[in-house]
Amino acid sequence: MLTFNDITVQFGGLTAVNSLSFEVPKGQIYSIIGPNGAGKTTVFNCISRFYTPSKGSILFNGEDLIKYKPHQIINKGIARSFQNVELFTKMTVMENLLTGLHPLLKKNIFPIALNLPSVKRMEKDARDQAYEVMDLLNITDLANEKVSNLSFGFQKMVDIGRAMIVNPQLILLDEPVAGMNPIETEKISELILRLKNELGYTVLLIEHDMSLVMKVSDAVTVMNFGKKISEGTPAEVQNDPVVIEAYLGEVETHVAAK
Amino acid sequence: MQIIVSGLIFGCIYGLAALGLVLIYKTTDLVNFAQGEMAMVTTFVSFTFLSQFEMGYTTSFLLALLFAAVFGAIVHQGIMKRLQSAPPLNQLVVTLGLFMVFNGLAGLIWGHKPAGYPQAIKGDSIKMGSVFFTPNEIFVMGITLTLMLIFFVIFRYTKVGLAMRASAQDIKASQLMGIKVTNVFTATWAVGAILGGVAGMMTAPITFLDTHMMFDVLIMAFAAAVLGGFLSLPGAVVGGLIIGVFENLIAFYLSPELKLVYTFLLIIIVLYIRPQGIFGGTQSVKKV
Amino acid sequence: MILKLLENKRLTIGLLVVFMLIYPFLVGNSNYFMTLFVITCIYAITSMSLNLLIGYGGQISVGHAGFLTVGGYSVAILSSTVGLPFFLALPLAGIMTGSIGLLIGLPAVRLKGHFLAVATLGFGLSIPQIVLNWDGLTGGYSGLAVTKPLMFGSDFSLFYVFVVITVIITWLIQNIVKSSLGRAFIAIRDSEVAAQAIGINISFYKTTMFVISSFFTGIAGGIYGYWVGFVSPNDFIITNSFLVLAMIVVGGLASIPGSIIGAVLFSVIPHFTDSYIGITNIVIGIAVVLIILFKPDGIVSLFKMNKQKLVKPAGKGELLVQGGEKENANI
Repeated sequence: MLTFNDITVQFGGLTAVNSLSFEVPKGQIYSIIGPNGAGKTTVFNCISRFYTPSKGSILFNGEDLIKYKPHQIINKGIARSFQNVELFTKMTVMENLLTGLHPLLKKNIFPIALNLPSVKRMEKDARDQAYEVMDLLNITDLANEKVSNLSFGFQKMVDIGRAMIVNPQLILLDEPVAGMNPIETEKISELILRLKNELGYTVLLIEHDMSLVMKVSDAVTVMNFGKKISEGTPAEVQNDPVVIEAYLGEVETHVAAK
Repeated sequence: MQIIVSGLIFGCIYGLAALGLVLIYKTTDLVNFAQGEMAMVTTFVSFTFLSQFEMGYTTSFLLALLFAAVFGAIVHQGIMKRLQSAPPLNQLVVTLGLFMVFNGLAGLIWGHKPAGYPQAIKGDSIKMGSVFFTPNEIFVMGITLTLMLIFFVIFRYTKVGLAMRASAQDIKASQLMGIKVTNVFTATWAVGAILGGVAGMMTAPITFLDTHMMFDVLIMAFAAAVLGGFLSLPGAVVGGLIIGVFENLIAFYLSPELKLVYTFLLIIIVLYIRPQGIFGGTQSVKKV
Repeated sequence: MILKLLENKRLTIGLLVVFMLIYPFLVGNSNYFMTLFVITCIYAITSMSLNLLIGYGGQISVGHAGFLTVGGYSVAILSSTVGLPFFLALPLAGIMTGSIGLLIGLPAVRLKGHFLAVATLGFGLSIPQIVLNWDGLTGGYSGLAVTKPLMFGSDFSLFYVFVVITVIITWLIQNIVKSSLGRAFIAIRDSEVAAQAIGINISFYKTTMFVISSFFTGIAGGIYGYWVGFVSPNDFIITNSFLVLAMIVVGGLASIPGSIIGAVLFSVIPHFTDSYIGITNIVIGIAVVLIILFKPDGIVSLFKMNKQKLVKPAGKGELLVQGGEKENANI
């Protein structure tokens, strides 16, 4: 469904991603793991078109994404969440989700300014949709809370909810459980599995938390210094000596430190 | 050539005022719209020393700068300090409020009638090549370059400068390192006010002394600062010089009435091509 | 107690409407007080438009008085030189000002913070100069007369027309900021990155904000022209732009009632201080400084505080983390 073909990204002299190729099959949960600074988020930023790779192509359903601007990507069916949560902090949870519906709402200024019945109807439908997503995330009682008042865990949920509300084909999740406690992590991993099984989304996941990755992933790509060093099923990757040397050693200390 | 030179003189004044703006902005992250009015008040104070107490030019000049320093420090301690973590727009509007207060007060105290103001150095024009200079103009240029160099050196190479740069980058970390951030900021305001005061006393002989005299200078200083990238001290001075010369050329060759319009057109074109200004670093891409 | 009562939205709006309807009778049809009221309406429209741009959209403009001037001159030229009737000339003035807003908005899209501030400052400073020097169209120093609409014989009926227009514009702007369009503006203010990721075309909406804001400001300028019957280059200068900026910050950013409160406050202050020369600036300046020092979210936050206590769900304390609120506008 999503194919990276020999992608290279450079910032000045620094190569953040080096000839990276991988393919995300439809309907799977595909994870990218790797130590800090391996270039994982850069991969997402290429798909979101915030960065333009110096070489290579990114095919989505056979179409090259490079020719699109960042705001056009969602119309192709790709939504994303952010590592450090990029919510609209002064809005309520409801308003954040409604803003996520932007691509599907009519934006003609004249009916809007006059608040015609068609606009009111559209707004009501949008609210119903937002409530559906909040139901799924179990945050309905927070609908009218300002997101700046929420804990980080709930903010992450809202961030994911905002990506889900447009019903994308592919959803990019950037470290969805970073900074969460084990119970919250458990909830998110259930949610990710439901995204695949019940809603039929394809999920591309970046994550540090190995337990989550091993539990939910169908396939894993391991990156280090901008390069792919291994790929396969979670079990295969876990036993790959290259990975153990480059990455899992670090993770073990990481886990031990927790 | 003569036009370019007189443009440079104005440019020096804009540059000085811009230097004060940028210094305050760089350190305290705040644009001071009241800068010009503070300079105007300082100039009036020096005029009071000159005419009421009949002191010499140098004494009045220095005393006025002392006043400016205290003035700047009071404004920071009394008002701006409390807004250190307020949204930038609030800070900006407060300085606009101060602008109106100072302007109104100066009008009350010194009246609204323009007065003549003496030049720093009197004397006949000197001819250099094909260009005439008055000694005063040479003085203006000299003092601009000296002040610019002094501040550049202070900011770059001294402990005080280091403290200023550190406070600008991260208030909390600097406090933890034992820097008294508030004092550094107060000092910056004092210095900014001094720079403005110098610009004011250089402007007054050219434009006459009145409560509105610094408004155009402030606007041009702001423009100069933006042109220079708003974070660069040399950039502010160079921006000032460019604007001074450009303005004079337009006034001479095209239309003196529309020089302001053309100057801003130039700035908008420059900013359209380089949104971060001439001396601004590359725009940082926000990491997500 | 009064604050509590004002929280009842319908009651407040009802009282306001009644007040506006009986106002001419309260002031005994005095031309001075009716003008004060119309000027307040003009500033209310302008500050709502500016708030749409700054408070909601996060895009600064320090030259909004320029749009007032453009609106006023558009009406003068359309009514006197071209001879168009009132109901054509006023909206056309808005459209002409909106087109200027489009021209300003296009380059402004690339600029942020101080750079945008200086560009719009340049616009606000340049408009009076251009008007002054474009004699053929604008009459230069001597200004232009505006043909008053004949269909409303007196200033009395014109007053009501302008009040109705102000109310309608308030309603339109309120609808816009509450809609998907308004949410897109706020999204751009709070996080450009996230806004793009959810499909908001940033350049398009920034330009749209400038166009909407300048359109309504142009109408306000047109109202000024029709009411005074005359426009001149120095009617709206850069200090008027500063004043409108102060109105929205003091009244309350991203708030329509806040804009109106700010506009009323700063339109009425000069009425009390005008007899002492030079005091107006000092009083307004001190008011600005004090209100921002002690009520940083604007006067409107006085009303909101009581409200929020009511809305907050009980027993949810453990979920709520007091977070510092992000800065409002990127200036």
